[in-house]
Amino acid sequence: MTEHYNQTRKRKAEFIKPINTLKAKVGSGGLSEDILNRAQELLENNTVDFQPLAEMYLTSLMKGIEQAKEAGVDADKEHTISAMLYPGMQLKANGGMFHYALVSQMADKLIQYLEVIDEADIEAVEIVLAFHTTIRAVVLGKIKGDGGPHGQNLLKALNDACMRYFEKNKGNIGTVIE
Amino acid sequence: MAYEFYKIKILIVEDNKPMLDLTKSILQTFGVAEVITAKDGEEGFREYCLHNPDIVIADWMMKPMDGISLTRRMRNDPRSPNQYTPVILMTGFSEKRRVLEARDAGVTEFLVKPFNARDLYRRIAQVIERPRQFVRSEDFFGPDRRRISKSGQKPYDGPNRRGDDKRIAPEVTEIDFAEREAE
Repeated sequence: MTEHYNQTRKRKAEFIKPINTLKAKVGSGGLSEDILNRAQELLENNTVDFQPLAEMYLTSLMKGIEQAKEAGVDADKEHTISAMLYPGMQLKANGGMFHYALVSQMADKLIQYLEVIDEADIEAVEIVLAFHTTIRAVVLGKIKGDGGPHGQNLLKALNDACMRYFEKNKGNIGTVIE
Repeated sequence: MAYEFYKIKILIVEDNKPMLDLTKSILQTFGVAEVITAKDGEEGFREYCLHNPDIVIADWMMKPMDGISLTRRMRNDPRSPNQYTPVILMTGFSEKRRVLEARDAGVTEFLVKPFNARDLYRRIAQVIERPRQFVRSEDFFGPDRRRISKSGQKPYDGPNRRGDDKRIAPEVTEIDFAEREAE
């Protein structure tokens, strides 16, 4: 064994392999395609009304936007961004589950954007506001699925706005957007 | 032969009622007979202690206790009935740093929302067929961040980086939690 700087190793880790009781209970063989198809059908045919949920998250997002607009120089940057990021994440998570895939796609872009900016400056917040306005229009217009060519154009417009921001504000980006 | 899901209990912890109901319905379609539900981490931990489920599926963002805190509690609280219970964390986040944060809290699998029925099934099958060994160190207790190798793959035969460690599972490869997520 190679010693590091002739020092005894301080930290030790114990590896434990628990008994796989779960496997012992369920056995083998997986689930049939028929069952998986039925489960998927159930998911796709759910009749949950996404609008009230979306309104709740959009209201929360708007509060985050207002907070960011009013934030002073001493405000916690991470906290300010999180107030917009979390409702964005909820919109992304739930839209697609309840037939609004376009909302998920847009909110996903919003999250990616918020994850890489260092600071919610005025220009950055304007872009978040554009996301809010567009997502709200999609929800109120009951544009389900990916919204077709029009929906994809809206998505592209939001993405382009983000890219223009990154191009213009290279100093306000923590990491490169993927 | 097929999985006999009627023999297991699954706890879903989710504050979004429509999402909770939908996930429960999918699990019931899979054949899970007993699906227990809770609306946040606090209630989730109580139900967990009461029912000792075989799998926990938890949302990340919940108040007053989120899915990450629930996982830490399940792994470390002396009242926990089983510190090794697999936890599947559901979230809209998919960025690597978020996945790593969940992994470091002791989460077993990560399920990105929105998901389909097969995504959920794959995560459940994963915890059944490829369970993680656990690691106990001074500052961490939870599933190993590396994976036991799939059968047929070359087992790890490199140097033992921790010569003093007590290794119970011999076959370990450097398959990272986040990398596996991307498979």
